[in-house]
Amino acid sequence: MRARNAVWWLVLLVATVFYAVPMLAMARFAFQRIPVIKLSWGNVFDKWTAAPLVDSLRNPDFHRAGLLSLGLAVATAALTVLLLVPTMTFAHLRSPRMRRFIELSSVLPFVVPAIALVIGFAAAFRDTAPIFVRSSFGMVPLLVITALPFTHRTIENGLSSLDLRTLADASRSLGAGWNRTIWTVIAPNIRGSIATASFLALTVVLGEFTIASLLLKNTLPLYLAYAQGQNPQGAFAVGLSLTALSAVFIALANRFGGTRPGSRQQR
Amino acid sequence: MVAGPSKRRARHLVFLPYFVFLALFLIWPATFVFVRAFQQGDASRNPMIEAMTGQFRGAFVYSLQISLSSAAIGLVVGSLVAVAIVRLDHVRALRSTVVGYSSVAANMGGIPLAFAFIAAFGMQGLATRLLREVNIDLIGWGFRITDFWGIVLVYLYFQIPLMTLVLVPALDGLRRTWQEAAQSLGASSAQYWRFVALPILTPALLGGFLLLIANAFSAYATAYALSSGGSRLVPVQIRFFLQGNTITGKTNLGYAMAAWMVIVTALLVLGFQLLVRRSEKWRS
Repeated sequence: MRARNAVWWLVLLVATVFYAVPMLAMARFAFQRIPVIKLSWGNVFDKWTAAPLVDSLRNPDFHRAGLLSLGLAVATAALTVLLLVPTMTFAHLRSPRMRRFIELSSVLPFVVPAIALVIGFAAAFRDTAPIFVRSSFGMVPLLVITALPFTHRTIENGLSSLDLRTLADASRSLGAGWNRTIWTVIAPNIRGSIATASFLALTVVLGEFTIASLLLKNTLPLYLAYAQGQNPQGAFAVGLSLTALSAVFIALANRFGGTRPGSRQQR
Repeated sequence: MVAGPSKRRARHLVFLPYFVFLALFLIWPATFVFVRAFQQGDASRNPMIEAMTGQFRGAFVYSLQISLSSAAIGLVVGSLVAVAIVRLDHVRALRSTVVGYSSVAANMGGIPLAFAFIAAFGMQGLATRLLREVNIDLIGWGFRITDFWGIVLVYLYFQIPLMTLVLVPALDGLRRTWQEAAQSLGASSAQYWRFVALPILTPALLGGFLLLIANAFSAYATAYALSSGGSRLVPVQIRFFLQGNTITGKTNLGYAMAAWMVIVTALLVLGFQLLVRRSEKWRS
């Protein structure tokens, strides 16, 4: 048994090395001021510096790109929640068929690759509603669509773990309207799911390149691609930080999981 | 009674915003791609046919070869990792760590991932250098991070964890009692895997394979950053044709290539959905 387990440990070891090496290499390149050719066992710990990251953080181009990406991320998360929470709540309460249909529609973004989506979007709106193509925030709907398979799943999990009908009936019988019921009764009960969906939307937007690139919007990933040529060390430092940030977001999303414990009355 | 039908209609009106949103920003753009793709204009051939000939077909073949290769390797390695964490489930925090990192890595991609692999396996990469110390000369063997196997290697970074994430729930669905039943009937461990576990896992494995192909096929940013925009991969070519419109006179070719991409991914995702549904049958 021990010998058989050794094989599986070996598998995990190989996978760990494969996962770790590129990240370590990126960290070394970004934060150590020694070219690879001159690297030896004698100077592995020399000349480490945070200067490339600090310098990049001071760069006004980075500020512009960072602010735009942050704004897009928040707008995308907000629009996602505004769109999904009421629709999916009503689907749960009123129509199992609609619930099934919405679930099916939520995987459609996988069917249309980002590159096809964005060129169709640009062609469709360039003449009819150019504001979507020209304005920086015009791409928010596309980002909502791109994140939809992930965000739908988490909100679906949250809603299925509640006894939604009892909550809604109680709230309505006490005189609350639908708006109030959804945003002050149901939403707080699935706040874990809403947080998770928001984190996933943030992650998608911070990493999204294809859509921004074809619409020529200077988001963080576009800044990175541009800075790679100008100041590779700084670009790699920002790239690594961005990766770490998305890892934290995803870890938070995993932590929040479905909903808070204790609210599982139904399966 | 009187308000019946209109009230029912009003009850369904609440779903309107969501579907209008989907129609406007997903269905309409996708339809537009197809409309443009079939517009012949002044060209001698329909763009949809043109996109499947000569160099354009070459781009699809190249893209699919990369997708298939990275999906096949990802299938094997990702499955091994999944089996490893299920087998070593008694080790504390092992599963949550590996599954946690897999969900991070499966979503990685884009520019930072390209950077990481340039830093590791590029001409001046750290791994390239370390391997040379032990007489493995990647560059001397003709390995380039921008070439076929280079791109496959980079894609494996998100393909392997994605396969792990697909397979772990399916492995959890294998009941201990099935193995005990097989053993009590005299089956060896190999026979159990060959005749019981594998047939049950087949839909999940196949479905995962299709998902991985689709995943690699629609990837754009990583390939773009690796090659500084000069790759032969289909998505990069689409951009090239849309920007080079006026020079080449092939106005709608980019749309036609995008339309073919949608067709390919649609088939793959459909296959994945059907197979996953079958694999969930065992898990209720």
